[in-house]
Amino acid sequence: MKGFDLHEPTSVPQAVGLLDQLGVGGKVLAGGSDLVGGVLKDWVTGKGMPLPTALVDITTIPDLHGIKSSGTGLTIGAATTLTDIIESADVQKSIPLLSEAAKTIASPLIRNFGTLGGNINQRPRCWFFRGEDFACYKKGGDFCYAVTGDNTYHAIIGGELCYIVHPSDSATALLALNASAKIAGPSGVRDVAFDAYFHGPREDVLTENLLKANEVMTEVTIPTPAAGTRMAWTKLKDRQVYDFAVVSVAVAFTVDAAGKWTDGRVVLGGVAPVPYRATVVETALKGQDVKAVAKQAAAQIRTVSRPMSLNSYKVDIAQSLIERTLLQALG
Amino acid sequence: MALQRVDAFRVAFDLDYAASLSDGEWAQVLASNEWHIMSAENADLLGPVMARFGSKMSVAAQAQTAPPRPIPEGPFQIIGKPAPRIHGFGHVTGFGQYSEHMTQPGMLFMKTLGSPHPHARIKRIDTTKAEAFPGVVAILHRGNLPDLYKDVRIGSGPPDRFLFSEEIFEVGAPIAVVAAASDHIADEATRLIDVDYEVLPAVLDHIDGMKPSTPKQWDNKLDGTILDITPPKIRGNPDQGFASSDVVLENVTTRSAEHHAALEPTTVIAKWDYNSDGRDHATIIGTFRHAHGARNTFSQALKLNQSQVRVITPGYVGASYGSHRDPTLVEIHALLMARMTGRPVRTMNTRAEDFITRTHRTPVRNESKIGVKRDGTIVAYSSKNIGDAGAQRGTGGAAFSTGLEAMYKIENLWQQEITVMTNSYKYSSLRCTEHPNNTLAREPLLDRAAYAIGMNPLDMRLKNLNLEANPDTKQPYNNSGLQEVIVQATDRAGWKEKWHAAKAKEVRPGVFHGIGMAAHSCVHGAGGAPSTGMVILNSDGTMTVVSGAAEVGPGERTTMAMMAGEVIGLPLSRIRISHEVDTDTTSDTGVTAGSRQTISAGWGIFEAAQDAKTQLLDWTVRKLVDDGKRKNPPETVTVTADQLDVQRGVIVYKDDQNKKVKIADVISFAGNPIIGKGAHIHETTWARMAWAAGVAEVEVDTGTGSIRVVKYTAAHDVGRAINPMGVKQQIEGGVIMGIGQALTETLMRDKATGVPLNPNLLDYKVMSIKDVPPVDVVIVEKPKNYGAFGAHGIGEPPIATPASAIINAVYNAIGVWVEDLPLTRARVLAALKNA
Repeated sequence: MKGFDLHEPTSVPQAVGLLDQLGVGGKVLAGGSDLVGGVLKDWVTGKGMPLPTALVDITTIPDLHGIKSSGTGLTIGAATTLTDIIESADVQKSIPLLSEAAKTIASPLIRNFGTLGGNINQRPRCWFFRGEDFACYKKGGDFCYAVTGDNTYHAIIGGELCYIVHPSDSATALLALNASAKIAGPSGVRDVAFDAYFHGPREDVLTENLLKANEVMTEVTIPTPAAGTRMAWTKLKDRQVYDFAVVSVAVAFTVDAAGKWTDGRVVLGGVAPVPYRATVVETALKGQDVKAVAKQAAAQIRTVSRPMSLNSYKVDIAQSLIERTLLQALG
Repeated sequence: MALQRVDAFRVAFDLDYAASLSDGEWAQVLASNEWHIMSAENADLLGPVMARFGSKMSVAAQAQTAPPRPIPEGPFQIIGKPAPRIHGFGHVTGFGQYSEHMTQPGMLFMKTLGSPHPHARIKRIDTTKAEAFPGVVAILHRGNLPDLYKDVRIGSGPPDRFLFSEEIFEVGAPIAVVAAASDHIADEATRLIDVDYEVLPAVLDHIDGMKPSTPKQWDNKLDGTILDITPPKIRGNPDQGFASSDVVLENVTTRSAEHHAALEPTTVIAKWDYNSDGRDHATIIGTFRHAHGARNTFSQALKLNQSQVRVITPGYVGASYGSHRDPTLVEIHALLMARMTGRPVRTMNTRAEDFITRTHRTPVRNESKIGVKRDGTIVAYSSKNIGDAGAQRGTGGAAFSTGLEAMYKIENLWQQEITVMTNSYKYSSLRCTEHPNNTLAREPLLDRAAYAIGMNPLDMRLKNLNLEANPDTKQPYNNSGLQEVIVQATDRAGWKEKWHAAKAKEVRPGVFHGIGMAAHSCVHGAGGAPSTGMVILNSDGTMTVVSGAAEVGPGERTTMAMMAGEVIGLPLSRIRISHEVDTDTTSDTGVTAGSRQTISAGWGIFEAAQDAKTQLLDWTVRKLVDDGKRKNPPETVTVTADQLDVQRGVIVYKDDQNKKVKIADVISFAGNPIIGKGAHIHETTWARMAWAAGVAEVEVDTGTGSIRVVKYTAAHDVGRAINPMGVKQQIEGGVIMGIGQALTETLMRDKATGVPLNPNLLDYKVMSIKDVPPVDVVIVEKPKNYGAFGAHGIGEPPIATPASAIINAVYNAIGVWVEDLPLTRARVLAALKNA
């Protein structure tokens, strides 16, 4: 591993100041299971992705820890651990979808150390991106090795230039819950809905979201779901512990007395470069008896899927899981 | 003088080559690590060469037929009772010293710069920047390798490999090593070395390697990179057999590269110093599974004699089962670096380095055909097995199955094995070499035949069992448990109630239940030479057991202590066996491979303990006579050794157990500790076979292609369970590895560049504890005359049945065959679509 300096600020302005000063050489450390245990350890670097020379640890900032409940929703500090989220009675009561998603992340050891901010902003798992010997687009290179190589786990929707899938389970759940993030930078603080937070490779292949190098995600706010909101989470993985999603599905929706869809979201993880909101499925459900149309609504995912050479099986899985997750939410 | 390296592997396959060797070359072959490995892992392959060149091998003694030894019948004090691992406390608490924990004063840290290319020639190496990096002490590469070592070749060719080769044949091949003040400094410095490569065409797939158009990488008489094509092994008349069959079926089964994922990566500490007479002396501590074999390799590579090399295995080793099998270049480089710098040098592989540079079970393709009668009789079987030896052949062949079609009566047989070199992962054993592949080639095909004729697969197997003798060598089986393992595994799994027609049992919407079985036999667990041991009865009546059997996970050192205690009559609480093996203080008892130590090291210890007991009782007689003489008035004591015994640590008269003599008193009388030694000669009366059967129950989700193993039942004939707790753990462990390889494990490379894709524990998916189904272990005990206490070894066979049993269970569940390992969701869903 390459050596680096470690900064341990105790306030957000201090952290932002450090990052602003460090420029491209600085990176936010928010747990480090990916940044230190992955990117740095494995020398994941390229022309467009210099390895950091200094890390700014935000877990040393007391304000970024904890879960606050207000009349309108829950606010979770970016440095709150995944275990704290799983164990929070407020989260379990109000947005069990997030607890369920968090429970399926990695392993207990990583959840004890990993944070919400770190999970949302981790880098993708693509083995070409991670491989030291592949100069791919995402590292500033000029090729996507997944197009001609093994793309078993790559994108089936929305891949362009680069075919990564977004790795974050918590982000998938948060998008379904219509959450937003607070971002602190040198020019102040801004709120960004997760609807607008992530971007695909066409927008900027070097990043997965709009967070700038001198900015820190400080907290996440989840509005209180409408009374009676149905929620469910499914994550299919190759093994039960310490694995990313082959496909995951988060649903949060309301139905009327007749069981007809009134409002809600269907979001998929593991299928696209961003947590993917399946509006095509939502449209098919609108005003319909969810139980009756779940199967055909789920099949709509096929209309937006463009699988690669080895991953059409993920389309079948996505379809099955959307249907099952909808039915599971109905109870 | 150029070191003429002899290819020990080739000796096994090329009898003309074997005939061309001089006596000196034979000596080299027999001392080589490769030969040790092959005798341990592939004794079945050595039949022809042993028969013809036995005199060269000094195995005349081994070839003698000895009268059957009586098998001790008990009752036993220690044998057969579950005993926790003697060094288990050290393993689970961290008190145990793994190589990784060890340090030496002034120690340097070494890292290797490996090639990013699968096949290339090194044009230039520039280490200027790396040398200037603060903390770097020394850099070694082909440009500054001392002349003495320039001709040293290691591993099995072709092609040849040197300590630093100009032409490299696999990703990760060492280009240079850096010694520095810390691991991180060394790691960073390796990235400052400039290397110019001339990239050469690589062969990344063994099927491609067989094409005539594939560029040759050495002077090869065969096409492309084919290493061997065996002459077909023919029994009966295969063509006629197929023609006279009622039903003929074919299939192709494949398995991908699999890795051990040993918890502890390769780690060594090397020291170079000088004997008091000024001779060089090299010491190396590390993750070896055969200290004496490693010593042979190092002494050959460093041009020292065996007395100048000391190898220590700590005994706390994060598993082997084939990984850390043979010393590789990194260990030799560490020794050279220690010589160069005059300081101890530690090197520890990263996880990725262990994945890439250590050995694997590499891909195999089996093309098989079976012909059966309507009544279930197997008439003919043929199988062509094409194995990928990777960049370095690690044992006989990647797909060899010669001599294994011995569990069913197959009158007409045709078998051929083709081994192909590729510029990819190096081949070697992984809890067995090729035997699980042989089972994969045969067992799903057997089920295909059973379904085709409408017969229960259990009945079909029982109908065709061969319980008598190897059909080719005519060597008899020794109290075969084949029928018992099949019957007991299926009984215990509820086969009769649970087996159903294909795709007949939907348990939830879209989810189907299935049950499948597989039987297995192999030569592992048989033991063989060398087979030595020693025990020391100390002055206080306790015992020290001295064995060269490296502990790499299976618990054999506990087994040694149990056997010695049983023979002598001492409880385990008064027996010490060290965890480490040191070549300076132990005798060679062979490699911990081939599931051989229970019998190999076991016999050595058994005979050593018998020797010690004879001496002890002999001294007891003398003491009793002497005690009588000293009495006033003197008594004439008449006693013979056979009237005495040792029970629970005390010498007693057999006919009057109240008459006791303390062991300590006898040793005090003798004036010396009692040293018992054993060197066992293995007789060759029997074909020594492992017998196994497994039953998998699965649920297959047709919506996602997911296979869940609900339960696995494994029955094994272990002859006699010395330590039932250890046996159960071995079987559970092997089954779990086998299920992982069947469902999720596959080590991948990019097809365009040959670069490894998933050399890490996240993407190479070893099952987690939450994925492990209940494993029901059935221990079948049919004692063997050839085994110490009647035992047969158990380390490897348990990995062999799961893949085939699961393939068969998946067919039973969803009515389609998925026969390419691992059985991924993509493959299951594709098979359902194509059905």
